[in-house]
Amino acid sequence: MKITRRGFFGATAGGLLLHAQDNQRPIFRVKVDMVVLNFQVTDSKNRYINGMKPTDFRIYEDGILEKLSTFAEGANPPMAVNADGTTRPMLEAGKETVPGMDKPDALTGTNVFLLFDTSNFMYRGFVYAEDAIADFVRGMDHADSVAVYTFSRNLSRAAPLTREHAEAINGLRSSVAGDDTALYNALLLTLRDAAKVPGRKVVIVFSNGPDNASMVAPDDVRAVAEDEGIPIYVISTAEVNKDPISSGVFRRLAQRTGGKAYWARTWQKQVEAFENIREDMINSYTITYYPQPNPNDGFRKISVELVNDPGKKLRVQVRPGYRPSRVF
Amino acid sequence: MVKAFSVFAALILTFGSSVTRGQTDLGQIRKMESSGDVAGARATLVHAVQSSPDSIPVLTEYAEFLERHADPGARDEYRRLVTALTRSGNRAAAASAAHRLAVLELLAGDKQSAEKALGKSIGSVTAETAGATVTIPGPIRPFARMAAISPEALPEEILPALARNVVTNGYEASHSNEALEQTEYLKLVHRYISQARELDKVAGDQKVIKIDSCDSPKVAELLRVLGFRMRGGCGSELVLETVNAGRAFLTTDSGFPVNRLEEALRTNRPFSYDYHPAVVPVLMGPEYWMGGAKDNSDFLENFIGDPSVCRLYLGLSKLDTETAEGLRKATTFTHLRAYAHVLDFFGSMFEIRDGKAVTPGGAKSAAAWSDLVGVSTDKGPEFFDKLLGKDDGWLCSLYDAIARIRGPLRDYLTEPVRMKRFYTAVRGRITSPGPARPVFRSNTDMMLLTTRLRLDADGKPHIPGDLEVWKELFTRNPQGRYDGKLTRLATTWKDSDDVLEALFALCRKSVENEPLKIFMALTDVDRNRGEPLTAATTARLAHNFRLYGSQYSLFSESRRLSESSITGYLDVAEGITRIHDPLLRSDVAGSFQSLMGLWAILVRQGTLAGGKSDSVFAGINGAFAKVVNDRELFDAGRTGVKLLLGDTADAQEKMVDVLAGASQSEDVETRDQIKQEMHRILEAQRLPSLDTLFELAGHLQGTGKLSSANLTKLSARLSEIQIPRAPLTSNEKNAMGFGYWTEKHLDAERRVNIRLAVERAAGDPVKLKEITGQLAPLLRDTLLAFNYAYYAPPGAQILYTNPVFVRGHDFVGGEGQSRTWAPTEMYGTGWPSNGGGRLVGSLSTLPYALAEAEQNFLVPTQTQALIWGDLVPQMILSAKIPRWWDVSPAQIHWVGLHLEYGRELLAEAALDAEVRTEVLAALGLHAIPARTNQVRRLLEAGNVKEAVDRVTPSELFNIARDLAPKRRGDSSCVLAELQQMGQANSKEVNYSAISRAFGTPKPTLANSYEPELLNLRTFPTLMGYSSRIMAESWESNTLYWAGLADEVSISPAQLNVRIPEWTQQLVEHIFASHLEDWPAVLKSLRLVGDDVRKHVRADMAAEQKVGFQY
Repeated sequence: MKITRRGFFGATAGGLLLHAQDNQRPIFRVKVDMVVLNFQVTDSKNRYINGMKPTDFRIYEDGILEKLSTFAEGANPPMAVNADGTTRPMLEAGKETVPGMDKPDALTGTNVFLLFDTSNFMYRGFVYAEDAIADFVRGMDHADSVAVYTFSRNLSRAAPLTREHAEAINGLRSSVAGDDTALYNALLLTLRDAAKVPGRKVVIVFSNGPDNASMVAPDDVRAVAEDEGIPIYVISTAEVNKDPISSGVFRRLAQRTGGKAYWARTWQKQVEAFENIREDMINSYTITYYPQPNPNDGFRKISVELVNDPGKKLRVQVRPGYRPSRVF
Repeated sequence: MVKAFSVFAALILTFGSSVTRGQTDLGQIRKMESSGDVAGARATLVHAVQSSPDSIPVLTEYAEFLERHADPGARDEYRRLVTALTRSGNRAAAASAAHRLAVLELLAGDKQSAEKALGKSIGSVTAETAGATVTIPGPIRPFARMAAISPEALPEEILPALARNVVTNGYEASHSNEALEQTEYLKLVHRYISQARELDKVAGDQKVIKIDSCDSPKVAELLRVLGFRMRGGCGSELVLETVNAGRAFLTTDSGFPVNRLEEALRTNRPFSYDYHPAVVPVLMGPEYWMGGAKDNSDFLENFIGDPSVCRLYLGLSKLDTETAEGLRKATTFTHLRAYAHVLDFFGSMFEIRDGKAVTPGGAKSAAAWSDLVGVSTDKGPEFFDKLLGKDDGWLCSLYDAIARIRGPLRDYLTEPVRMKRFYTAVRGRITSPGPARPVFRSNTDMMLLTTRLRLDADGKPHIPGDLEVWKELFTRNPQGRYDGKLTRLATTWKDSDDVLEALFALCRKSVENEPLKIFMALTDVDRNRGEPLTAATTARLAHNFRLYGSQYSLFSESRRLSESSITGYLDVAEGITRIHDPLLRSDVAGSFQSLMGLWAILVRQGTLAGGKSDSVFAGINGAFAKVVNDRELFDAGRTGVKLLLGDTADAQEKMVDVLAGASQSEDVETRDQIKQEMHRILEAQRLPSLDTLFELAGHLQGTGKLSSANLTKLSARLSEIQIPRAPLTSNEKNAMGFGYWTEKHLDAERRVNIRLAVERAAGDPVKLKEITGQLAPLLRDTLLAFNYAYYAPPGAQILYTNPVFVRGHDFVGGEGQSRTWAPTEMYGTGWPSNGGGRLVGSLSTLPYALAEAEQNFLVPTQTQALIWGDLVPQMILSAKIPRWWDVSPAQIHWVGLHLEYGRELLAEAALDAEVRTEVLAALGLHAIPARTNQVRRLLEAGNVKEAVDRVTPSELFNIARDLAPKRRGDSSCVLAELQQMGQANSKEVNYSAISRAFGTPKPTLANSYEPELLNLRTFPTLMGYSSRIMAESWESNTLYWAGLADEVSISPAQLNVRIPEWTQQLVEHIFASHLEDWPAVLKSLRLVGDDVRKHVRADMAAEQKVGFQY
């Protein structure tokens, strides 16, 4: 396998087609670019642990120790990680560390993709949901960018990714109620958009659950999120027990991508859920690395080990791994 | 109009035939252009104009060049030319150039400049008269949003669109009694109108909602109406939040700028929102709909409160003014309302001219129509009034079906005796319920029959096989009789009209009309054959239609397919159907159909031409004739590949290569792009290559010994391809109870371990050969994947995301079903517990099913995009099936010239009443009378651009095609070039070649995937299978793209990539109010075209600039 450092920040894997000299037959090669890991550390009482340093972590991919490239906490700008684990500002580090990045400030903050269900199922709570989302957007850090997408049968990009939060709210307020619910189709398209954006990103789904029109399966969508390193947060306006299938799917989507699922029927609960997500974003760590040579072209397991936690009292919430794409 | 002499040709003569002034050889430039080097010709001409700015021949050549290529710069050049000619004293030439300029100015929408160029006014003032209007509270945009009408709709389109939405979506049957009750949609419209009236009061006399500051007393009232309240006091902490969910929903859903209001209140700045009410035209005036009441302040509520009023409005809006007015005067409102449903469905072809009814068949049939209706056609309004009320709509439906067609077939069907006979059959003894009772037309069979019926050379209808075939079908149908009376009558049938009469009679039945489907399918098979099928083959196809009918379009793919090949196919199909083991049956059917699917693609692309198409088809039949186990299946599959590709050691790449298209194409980049897309899909589906499978099989069968290391390597390659595990465990599946399938095919593939099997065989050649059978399901999927990849719609999200989408194709169907030969369908959408949607059935409608599955991944650019359903998959299909490798630049230019000439004719029609009559007559063959009349009014007023906007590209093409031969003397350089091309290159630029190159596939309407132009009137909205017919009757897209390619000099090969891309953009930009909103499709088409032009011309200008610098 050939590993190069070409590509752009945020992509976990990119494709490289090589033509063999002899017969011009295409050969598929796996090329892994930078891997982005976004995670939180909490104690046994679920309190966030802040202020940790790159040297506090050891990242393993299929058991292979990885060398950190950048490190960031919360909305702070990422720092380049030196060989000894110390850090230095990205501008000083230059483009060698983060190839393809002309705007270092693009790495600051989180790119939040809000996916709002405007299908028939949401009709009754439509306006309260809008209020809750608008509150969340208003409360976002200035460094964070936000996109508001809505969906019913199709996706609608109500507000493209922007740091102008008022524009996002404007987009949100201009959304219209639709008909069928193709949640997983819309989530897939949102992830595809998010994958193109450099930096840290999360997708927040606001829906009440039942999907009656998607052609793609939740697990296939989840695999895309896993591979792209994009945590999915889900706020369901349904009761957890009312629709066990959707509840199970939401839980799995969130857990496997490093996000969380909330069941919030009332406006207050929705606001609370958003508050928790905001807390997660503020208290998260973002680490990037270029994987060491690894013959595994399938699913690569990621583990984050805390160096100074011999008693294993702390918990790391991180995605379990990813598959390097075998792209033509 | 200046005729009979081309002033420009004269100019060339005047200034010398070998114009070399300023060292410019115009003949050379012409050669460059005709050879396809349009960019080179343009650059040389630009240079020539700069070198010789006063040269009249050069200016002429450049202006004409730009005109021929629909370049907007042509107007500037004609202006310069007029000036130069005037200065030179050549008055006749100057007048002619000024005329051309005027035509182009009119097309650009600049009537004033056109008048200036001609020195006279254009259009009569009386042509534009303002009609009655009605006021809708609040601006049009929020109302349109709430009423599900495109905000791009023109004012005159608002009430018809509203009426349509009320009729189709406004009411539903009550749960408790027989009354109709309002749907949620209509309740919301009512609530919105109420809120808009309240906001109107807040807006005051100025009709502007104004808030000066946050503490203004009006704030509270405004927020109350909007359903919001302030959280936090005035200042930076202020937030608007919902207090009344119902009102707030209307506020946001209608698009009120809440966010802007919040921002204004927060920053204590003034807020202003224009709230002028919308004024829209109302047919016949509001009093007509209000029972004569003068106060129409609550017109809107009354209007949407009565669905029968809306139905009548909708029906009348489809008529031209003279006809509608005639009907209004001839009868009472109450009477018309009683038959509104008939008028809505079957009235759009009504036409009254000078008080007389214009009936299909003309003078020879007028008496028959008079007899049937009971009123003379001379009394137009009375005639149509009586027609509406006749037999609950049966006669009217026949009238509509016949009025939509033209030519010899219409003459045949309107022969008085025959027409009366067919009417009697359609009408039957009991007339109720009539054909217009449902909300949508449930049955379009009669329209299909009249549209697609063929007349043979002897002038009689084509009857597939012979009369005995049809007698037999009606009397001894193995699946049961169609109709007791017809069964009895069939024994006495003597000629083709007897069969037709039976088909007309069956059109009145609400159940599926199988005989008609058989008739149409077999007519279409015969259509493209040198010799029609024999009676024996026809009889066999007819009797097997129910089971294998959806496969018959395959027989239309090649004109050289022999009857023995067709019957051979049926033999194989019957053999497969008899296979007891569903897993094996599924694999055999999948492999066979996949190979036949690839055969069809290669035939369509010309790779398997002439007799080879038949021999390969027969060879595949032969290979599958006696397959009874997996090992034989693998061998049959491999034989099929060999037949398609010939001997090759590199089958995988060769297959991609031939599917990608013409290997001889000079456009390597485009070809590579297509190949890469196919490779990506095959890779995403994680399927083994043909070569891996064949090499392994060769080793196992002892024909190609592999070393141990190579065997291990190839076996490992199969294991490397990790088929994802089932998304749910068995326990989970059992717990969920439904929504999954057993995935036996996938499970079998997951278990394949060739290396282990080889080890266990311990060198026993018999056992080793048996192992080949394990590869058969994998070969099926790889062959199937080529079909999927070839037809993959733009974006192909499912194919890239679901790695078992191809493998999950279900050729059998659920328990108790037999979908092996049925049309392809989507299955399993919207079940989170399954592995994603998949396709079920045969591959007969695979392109459509793939497009249908993918359509919801398109992202509308607007908040509403109501044309989806059947239309979008057909548009995608039309962009994917035809390929343009064999199309020449001349053919593209020929289409471009037709479209341009069609536009010019419309402009000429604004200048000359004689031309107008000709053009409108040509348009009337394709457009309904109401639209033709609308175009007439616009042309009479000189509003050419608006008129052109209402004519579809296929209509423009046909107007030019119909009139060009009749207008040989016109001065148009576009026409001159058309004629010159037609004479010099008749083999390439003839109608049938253009139809093949730029037509659309019509698998439902014509039972064929071969692209063609049928020039039909666009079908109305229909239900059931026939709803696809509406989409298939739309032929404008590809013609428009061809014209666009001509304008911006895109090569034919590039169309293979560009047309799917443009089509995706087209769909994403459609902003329609209803299913028949063709103007919305046209707008989107033109929007995408304008965007392409803008970018290409910007690039061109930049290149020219750079060129001049050097």
